[in-house]
Amino acid sequence: METVTLTIDGRQVTVEKGKTVLQGAIEHGIKVPYYCYHPGLEIDGSCRVCLVKIEKMPKLQTSCSTLVAEGMVVSTEAPDVVEARASVLEFLLINHPLDCPVCDKGGECPLQDFAYSFGPNESRMEFPRRVFDGEGVKADVDFGPTLMLNRNRCILCTRCVRFMKEVDGDAQINIVDRGYGSEIATFQDEGVHSLISGNLMDVCPVGAITTKDYRFKSRPWDNPEAIDTICTFCERGCNTTAWLRAKPEWAKGALLVRTTPRLNPDVNGYWMCDIGRFDYHWIEGDDRLHRPLVKMEAGLQQPADWREATAKAADRITAAGTGSLRFLISAHASLEELFLIGRLGSALGTPEDGVAISWRAREKPQPADTKFKVPPIDAPNVNGARDMGFPVKASSDGRPDISAFRQQVEQGRVKALFVFDPGPPGSIGDVSWVSQARASGKLALLIVQGALITDLARAADIVLPGASSFEKDATYVNYQGRVQAASRALPAPGDAQEDWQIFVNLGLALGITLGYTDSAHVRADVAAAMSSNAAYAGLADLAFARPVTAQHWLQASNPSERWKWDVMFQDLPPVKFAGRPDPSSIPTVIPLTERD
Amino acid sequence: MSFHPLMPYGSEGFQKSERTLMARGEPFAFTAERAAKLEDICSKYPPERRKSAVLAALYLVQEQQQYITASAMRHVAEFLRITPAEVEDVATYYVMFFKAPVGKYVLQVCRTLSCALAGAERVTETLSEKLGIGIGETDPSGMFTLLEFECLGACDRAPVVMVNNEHWHEKARPETCAKLVDDLRQRGLSALSGCHLKVEQ
Repeated sequence: METVTLTIDGRQVTVEKGKTVLQGAIEHGIKVPYYCYHPGLEIDGSCRVCLVKIEKMPKLQTSCSTLVAEGMVVSTEAPDVVEARASVLEFLLINHPLDCPVCDKGGECPLQDFAYSFGPNESRMEFPRRVFDGEGVKADVDFGPTLMLNRNRCILCTRCVRFMKEVDGDAQINIVDRGYGSEIATFQDEGVHSLISGNLMDVCPVGAITTKDYRFKSRPWDNPEAIDTICTFCERGCNTTAWLRAKPEWAKGALLVRTTPRLNPDVNGYWMCDIGRFDYHWIEGDDRLHRPLVKMEAGLQQPADWREATAKAADRITAAGTGSLRFLISAHASLEELFLIGRLGSALGTPEDGVAISWRAREKPQPADTKFKVPPIDAPNVNGARDMGFPVKASSDGRPDISAFRQQVEQGRVKALFVFDPGPPGSIGDVSWVSQARASGKLALLIVQGALITDLARAADIVLPGASSFEKDATYVNYQGRVQAASRALPAPGDAQEDWQIFVNLGLALGITLGYTDSAHVRADVAAAMSSNAAYAGLADLAFARPVTAQHWLQASNPSERWKWDVMFQDLPPVKFAGRPDPSSIPTVIPLTERD
Repeated sequence: MSFHPLMPYGSEGFQKSERTLMARGEPFAFTAERAAKLEDICSKYPPERRKSAVLAALYLVQEQQQYITASAMRHVAEFLRITPAEVEDVATYYVMFFKAPVGKYVLQVCRTLSCALAGAERVTETLSEKLGIGIGETDPSGMFTLLEFECLGACDRAPVVMVNNEHWHEKARPETCAKLVDDLRQRGLSALSGCHLKVEQ
């Protein structure tokens, strides 16, 4: 790597050649504010707030668009820089409404932070602010199926325009009426229609673009717990942060209020898709299983306690013949769960073709040249199941090929079937044939372990309530073959248990001692079993995030802003420009005088 | 793509902005002749910069149907292989593109300093009185639209009136404005003085 050494604020810093002064400053924790710069987007240089003084250059330079050079001497705190920066912020705030108390971005807003740290103490603007569509939240208009737009708050940094052009690949957002009336808009107000539109909320440095899902739901300081985890809704496994709201136990509403992407340059960069971001409501939805269910003689499912349910399940399996139990597993099963199923299966004598892995693959319409492709497979662990020796058969379009297994069930050759489906609704793929086989009597015993009361669970003889991926420490292998950890953010609802626990207890009831008391122990054994595979090297030591309290809301939801909280606003006094810009610093002009 | 049950779109609850949108207009397609002309213009740019022809394309739209509509912008976007939003960005910026129907003759009176000092405001007023329309309006016969324009760069022959984005009338005088309108009705564009540089050549 070729490097360049330059001086910023008297500090010698070494930066990779080709980077900009701003990037160098960020890397070395030197405070330079910015809006239009975003590390995931091309450089624009339109907001002018990152001005710095560079020796031998005639004027102040925008550090975001100036490349580092050997021996460059940069100052970010020279008096004229401080003054110019304050003036730029004064301009940015000319039309920006002071509605922070009702704005969703309030508390994690770069404009708030930088105006506090670098802005002037007061505005000299004497005219009314430019207003689109009314004051306050009246200005919120629809900006597509997922977003709201408040153009009063927009500072025209064009991050959203560039995001759609560069990352999404379909430039749906533009600036219309350029000039004093410049505004962000979509063609004919048709709104943003994209599978990755939620990222526009993240890239927006003000509260102009907000998501309908999170709007008015919570303030950042009301989310006392933020848990770094991964998204398990498709095979990409984007790194995310799950945000939990503070609420008393008796208060209505969900704990999990949003998920935001977390930077991982190798997996998802700064982005995540809308399915992962918005389709989490099932986790605390009405369809969750809270207690085990056992089907009575009359065919009605009754709630039962765990002891009763596991004993009943073991009895029925033993009655059918332990060797006859077959497994249909969703690719949402984690490595730990797959490992335990493998151990149960080998102890019961399940044959090789007695296990099938299923998932859903669906087409996700995106522009052809998008930089962030959402994979078609809606399951996080297809590769994990393959690595662990499960029979993973996929057809050319990504769908699972389980026709042989299905045939066995439909022909009545399977006496007892155990279905494991801990994923979101429908993520196991088409399993209507299982309920049909059970209804027609071709399948004598159906046990379903999962998170939701689905049609399949309604058809089951015994239902065991498990945990979603937000409710357990579990590991998954994404489409790149990368082992990643999903951390426990919430407790499982009601009596529902973490799935490894259910397998251990079921094993005990069947007389098989698996001997685990913690998912970490299971993980250690998975690591030992997979020791020949280099990709699994770090499995046993994988770090699982715990809720970060106290400092948590100091992390902005925008992954590109998160570094700031580590260096910028920690007990540091603001770099304030006190007072008003000095009139003498205005370039002198030739005075107009009357000639004799 | 509305995949979330809590996120209706385009339904009754859909809150539109108060932004003035261009009319959708009749379905639009370039005539074969103009399409060929635009293709020729596009060939002057590198293939990856095909969208540079957007100004030329919008002028061709105006040549064909006098003003820009949403359907026309969509057609231009398809032709240049860009998004309609990018076309709208350009179309809303330039004042030479008319966003509403205009008359056969669009009288654009320069109002910047030189022309203003030479009495451009009087010229506008007289034209407005003669035609019985205000600035930005089209007369009932559909013949004339009156607009004010910023500097046309012909300060030495102020005040200047530009007609239909390309024809010139220099040294316009309030006294002769009424006659100019009548002459335009009778003789068409030949009633204009034309650009003195061209005339002198």
